[in-house]
Amino acid sequence: MNLTDRELWAVIHGLVLGTLFLLAFGGGLAGLWSLRSRLVTEEGVVERTPRLVLGTSLMALVAWLTVITGTWIVYPWYRATPPADVDQKVQGAALEAYPRFWLLASDATKDWHNFGMEWKEHVAWIAPLLATAVAFAVAYYGATLIRRGDIRRGVMIFFTLAFVAAGVAGLFGAFITKAAPVS
Amino acid sequence: MQNEVSQTKPSGPVAASFIAAGIGSVVMGVLVIANDVSADVSNFLKFDANFGLGKGVGPLSGKVVLTVLAFLISWVILHLVLRGKEVNFTRALTIALVLVGIGFALTFPPIFEFIVGLFR
Repeated sequence: MNLTDRELWAVIHGLVLGTLFLLAFGGGLAGLWSLRSRLVTEEGVVERTPRLVLGTSLMALVAWLTVITGTWIVYPWYRATPPADVDQKVQGAALEAYPRFWLLASDATKDWHNFGMEWKEHVAWIAPLLATAVAFAVAYYGATLIRRGDIRRGVMIFFTLAFVAAGVAGLFGAFITKAAPVS
Repeated sequence: MQNEVSQTKPSGPVAASFIAAGIGSVVMGVLVIANDVSADVSNFLKFDANFGLGKGVGPLSGKVVLTVLAFLISWVILHLVLRGKEVNFTRALTIALVLVGIGFALTFPPIFEFIVGLFR
């Protein structure tokens, strides 16, 4: 039942923050989708707007926290260089503490780094940019967003792209952690 | 529609934030390629070692710091330019989506490796 510090941070980065992101996305997209005057009364708009602002702001915050913890806490453990006396060409026990090198040591696993990690570590940072723009738009218009179908559509597109970017990163993060856990 | 638009705040600030996010995305993509093309750029991007921003992050530290700076600075500039203005939001969104698309593409390994190969 014990988690090492590294495993705990990997869980916070991938599972806790990732779950919050998914929840915020699901709720936010549903709220934006139904934000049409023929579907919601004026009272309904006023009632749901604070929740929408909170949800999109939370999603942006979580996106930032996810990439910051991933880049500055978990990633250095992933890319750490093994000592000179550890054979980098064999997936032996001594190399297990160095996930990047462990993956690269075999043709069967090297693409998890060369493709998966290379894409994940970069595309993930697009998510908070898009999520922040979405949160700003929702907070800026507030209840009047319902009158701006053009903005609402743009917000939903950006919102979805933020989710796609985070989803790619999350998916490869899960696969890579399965193949070579940071432990 | 026009009446509804006139009853809301101008769209300029939102357009500014969307385009700024697109600019940040492109900067990330360009830095991914620049890092692989030039050893000098790659060394410069090690902000963890060069500027004490973390430890063991490598060139990714510079890529993300510059990406975020590009996003924030372009947002501030565009906001100052577009505040109080009603813009053609569909056009602004299209620009933003093209920029984000370029950013996505340049971070996709088969594409950035192909482009990096052109420089070698």
